[in-house]
Amino acid sequence: MTAYDPCSHCEEMMQPYMDRVLTEAERAEAEAHLDGCSYCRKRYRFEAKLRQFVQRAVAIEPMPVELKTKLAALRTPLE
Amino acid sequence: MSETTRDPDARRLATDARDRVRFEEDALALSDQVYRVARHLVGSREEAEDLMQETYARAFRSWRSFQPGTNLRAWLLRILTNLNIDRGRRQQRTPDMQPLEEGDYFLYNKLETSGDGVNDADRVVERLSQNDVVAALSDVPHDFRDVVVLVDIGDFTYADAAQILDIPIGTVMSRLHRGRRILKQAMAESAVGGEES
Repeated sequence: MTAYDPCSHCEEMMQPYMDRVLTEAERAEAEAHLDGCSYCRKRYRFEAKLRQFVQRAVAIEPMPVELKTKLAALRTPLE
Repeated sequence: MSETTRDPDARRLATDARDRVRFEEDALALSDQVYRVARHLVGSREEAEDLMQETYARAFRSWRSFQPGTNLRAWLLRILTNLNIDRGRRQQRTPDMQPLEEGDYFLYNKLETSGDGVNDADRVVERLSQNDVVAALSDVPHDFRDVVVLVDIGDFTYADAAQILDIPIGTVMSRLHRGRRILKQAMAESAVGGEES
């Protein structure tokens, strides 16, 4: 039998919590745990930073200007 | 008879042309955002550029099927993902990949133990590089990556992602859950190596 582990439960709820898809009760439960648990709180901060980091890392390569020109050229010519 | 009353067809054509031009302008204004997602749905910049051109060509041809007031960015990405699948992506699907055991804290734990003992969130994230992220993302199998890219990079809701990929919302949630874990595992390997195996 596996004993209930609140940190494992928090780990499972972390991503849905960050996606804001938990119910009110689940959210309150997650926040209560994060308030009292430095282990999970540290990992929550990391997850929040990680999302920003991933967004920035993949946004560095902008759309080539030539492609923009090519897309504009696909428009229907005006008669 | 005045010119305006004489030729209702001409007026309709003028309205039609104006709507079309507006649609084209709106679609082009979103092209940077669509490209950012497209670039990470496919393997290379060249593929992404081809796919963007095919997508916009099709969108401009079938602009009448877009319902004004709905999400144009999602509509364009729906075309793009369909074209991507038509290009043979289905054959590359990997539903039977090995089960993944690591949880959500895996990446943090891995980076924490590889560092200098200073473990606040900023410092730990800084142990990753941009290349770690880009390389790891391209390692995530397509079905999972599509969802991660749409939700975490494209900022689409679960419902939008479900509509774009034409899959149930429950599938979006389960693939997202798994895809993020696969991504983190790949980032961990890229950043600190898989020395435990």
